[in-house]
Amino acid sequence: MLRKLTFLAVSAVIAFGTLSFDLPQQSEDPGDRLIGIWEPSNGRSRIKIDRIGNKYYGRVVWLIESNDADGNPRTDINNPNPDLRNVPLRGFRMCKDFVYQGDDQWSEGTLYDPNNGSTYQGTITMRDMNTLDMRGYIGVEAIGRTDVWKRLKMPSRKKK
Amino acid sequence: MHEYSVNNLEFTLEGPLFAGPNGGQKAISINIADALGDAHVEGMRISDARLKSAAIFPNDSLGFTNVNAFVVAFASDNEDVSMQEAAVKNPLEVGATVANLEVSSDAELGEIMADGKVYVVLDADLAEDYWDGNRDFKLNFTLELTIK
Repeated sequence: MLRKLTFLAVSAVIAFGTLSFDLPQQSEDPGDRLIGIWEPSNGRSRIKIDRIGNKYYGRVVWLIESNDADGNPRTDINNPNPDLRNVPLRGFRMCKDFVYQGDDQWSEGTLYDPNNGSTYQGTITMRDMNTLDMRGYIGVEAIGRTDVWKRLKMPSRKKK
Repeated sequence: MHEYSVNNLEFTLEGPLFAGPNGGQKAISINIADALGDAHVEGMRISDARLKSAAIFPNDSLGFTNVNAFVVAFASDNEDVSMQEAAVKNPLEVGATVANLEVSSDAELGEIMADGKVYVVLDADLAEDYWDGNRDFKLNFTLELTIK
């Protein structure tokens, strides 16, 4: 199980070229400090966390391997719901429904592993403005795995 | 079972937009009195909801240019209820003027709808960056509601 949980921090990391930090804009809601683009420790994906209503969600916005062996964009082929196996992995919300609890913690959410179609309970702890501990677990939080995510700076591109 | 349709729900994806997924959200209220008409009794609630159909239309002069795919999901402020993807169009055919989404029959939306306030989330996967403004789309969808 721990091996499965590894995927979490695992499959979701990103990097926009070089790693750099981008402090979010000031918000009156302390929970909004979570908003931004984050890179899991394996560097294979990047996750953009947004707010919808009073919850926070993380979408895959970049994958190091965005296409399958046939050259087609990867989709969520392991989703337990067959109707959703055609959903593109790039754009997939792998972090869902996190609620800010105060004290730099977000919980009540889930983390999804597209590698096996499993969903885990999750807790997010902000170590500092640029570092998150993402913990995935099943049932008992004490038994799980934590991955460290780093905040990324959006690339600055000139308007054409 | 009662059908409940929402039409011309407008989404603006605010630029600059980057290649890949770009999302928009709208909060709506499900008015079960509208669905039930004279049969509505105070205190009734949605006990089950399924998405029956969903279609997306362009709402600007760009049409579906450089749009690879759409996903529609529903979410609620209720901490006990998780966001649910309910429909997808992938890939979107080149030259399409309407995107008729493939609906997930397993997507159980009743708990999301139960409080009446629902967040409709539209994700568009773009093939290229778009720096020159916003992209606008309209969504029509029909729900099948069980109300008790």
